[in-house]
Amino acid sequence: MPAARFRQIAPTLLPLASFALFLAAWELAVAYGLLRPLLFPPPSRLLASAVELVVDGVPRGKTLADHLLVTLMRIGGGFLAAVTLALPIGLLIGSRPVLDRMMQPIVAFCRSVATLSLLPLALVWFGIGEASKIFLIGYGCFWVMVSNVIAAVKLVDPLLLRAARTMDTPRRQIFTAVVLPAALPRIAAGARIALGVGFMVIVGAEMIGTTTGLGALIMEARTFYRTDVTFVGMIAIGLLGVAIAAGLTRLERVLMPWIAFDWEAAR
Amino acid sequence: MNASVLERHAGALGVALFLLIWELGARLVWRDPSTLPSPSQSLADAWSVLTFAELAGHVGISLWRILAGFAIAAVAGVVLGLACGWFRLLGMILGPAIELLRPIPPLAWIPIAIVWFGLGEPSKVFVIALGAFFPVFTNAHRGLVMVPPVLFGAARTMDVAGWRLLWRVAAPAALPDIAVGLRVGFGLAFGVLVAAELIAADSGMGYLIMEARQIGHLGIAIFGIVLIGVVNLLLDRQLGAIISRTVGRWAKI
Repeated sequence: MPAARFRQIAPTLLPLASFALFLAAWELAVAYGLLRPLLFPPPSRLLASAVELVVDGVPRGKTLADHLLVTLMRIGGGFLAAVTLALPIGLLIGSRPVLDRMMQPIVAFCRSVATLSLLPLALVWFGIGEASKIFLIGYGCFWVMVSNVIAAVKLVDPLLLRAARTMDTPRRQIFTAVVLPAALPRIAAGARIALGVGFMVIVGAEMIGTTTGLGALIMEARTFYRTDVTFVGMIAIGLLGVAIAAGLTRLERVLMPWIAFDWEAAR
Repeated sequence: MNASVLERHAGALGVALFLLIWELGARLVWRDPSTLPSPSQSLADAWSVLTFAELAGHVGISLWRILAGFAIAAVAGVVLGLACGWFRLLGMILGPAIELLRPIPPLAWIPIAIVWFGLGEPSKVFVIALGAFFPVFTNAHRGLVMVPPVLFGAARTMDVAGWRLLWRVAAPAALPDIAVGLRVGFGLAFGVLVAAELIAADSGMGYLIMEARQIGHLGIAIFGIVLIGVVNLLLDRQLGAIISRTVGRWAKI
């Protein structure tokens, strides 16, 4: 193979080859007794467990799709509630400097409160059902979202506002025709970060007091010495995260085609 | 005059208003301290039940866990990130492997960490370190890859090469990115700490609030939640101050 050609395909070939090598070494290490299968279930076992999880379900009757759906409903519910509340509140605070100064310490503090630490409160207020999980996800998403909406409104280019004022644009119209479109990309970035937070919170929230959902699946599997199922569940959670992020990017391109926003920089 | 006083203390006023509304609402409207204690009731509850030594013990063990986990993540993330940026072959192999693990949220590692390390300290430190590792690694990696080539060119004209080029030119140039990664990673590690202590621990601030609920003292739980927030804020400020004192001297962060 010519060297130039190798250089071209190396970035895809090398990771694939080393990944395959890694899986093979893992499989062999377990087969020859170097690694304990309970601690490191081999890839072949993981594949079998994945099939079992999809077809029969763990515990029996609760398939991967069931767990996935429950988790998605919780994330979706909390996220939507948070966005619906955070949008008007954030827009209001962001456009009133006095209100913004008054709320600044509260927003900063509520953001730095670890969301999962509210779990005991959520259990007392909402019981161990769905509502407490949705509350936790909602809390985590809300403060991230609200601080991003506030920042988005505050960071609108003042030149745009002055230009609109020189044309005697009514206040209401400045808001709907200037502030809102200019703030939208940053608001969308906030929504994306908030969804990431919700995704992190749900896994922890599902580990306590429930048997459905992906977080519960991996925790329960451990207590029944099904480490293989835990691994498969973790992979499923990772894939779900990737899928959600990709879906969001697509959605943003469809909804706001005029914005070429640098997502990497916004992270 | 009045307006400027209001503006200067607007933050304090906001906090005071918030506490006042909560206090009055809990005492006069809700009137059930077992489900919604007021701020003063929470404080009194914590004061009467917790001893100072107990509280210091919980805070101390939490601090130890997060510092240990964060230190491991910082060293591993910076070393691996820089190595992957410096040695292209290593970057090609290790980079995608780490990207493959990144989408798995750190909390999802808790069950496996318990299987691997048992219920003791190592499993908590492991999960906390995982939480901080990815942002540190990515930023160190990207920081090194994005070092302006002109710096390397200038260094080469002065016969700087090999390790000295990495240590004296490339690494300092990547430091602002590393600092950002460290700060983001620390925030994530703190969230993981609380979760790990809630789910599987018999000490620490997370355990404190979980236990408070079990013995029916919601006031202590609220006290603990606020305590966690305050500790988080203070540590984050401190880290930010250290960063701006050191890296801030030659880069704007």
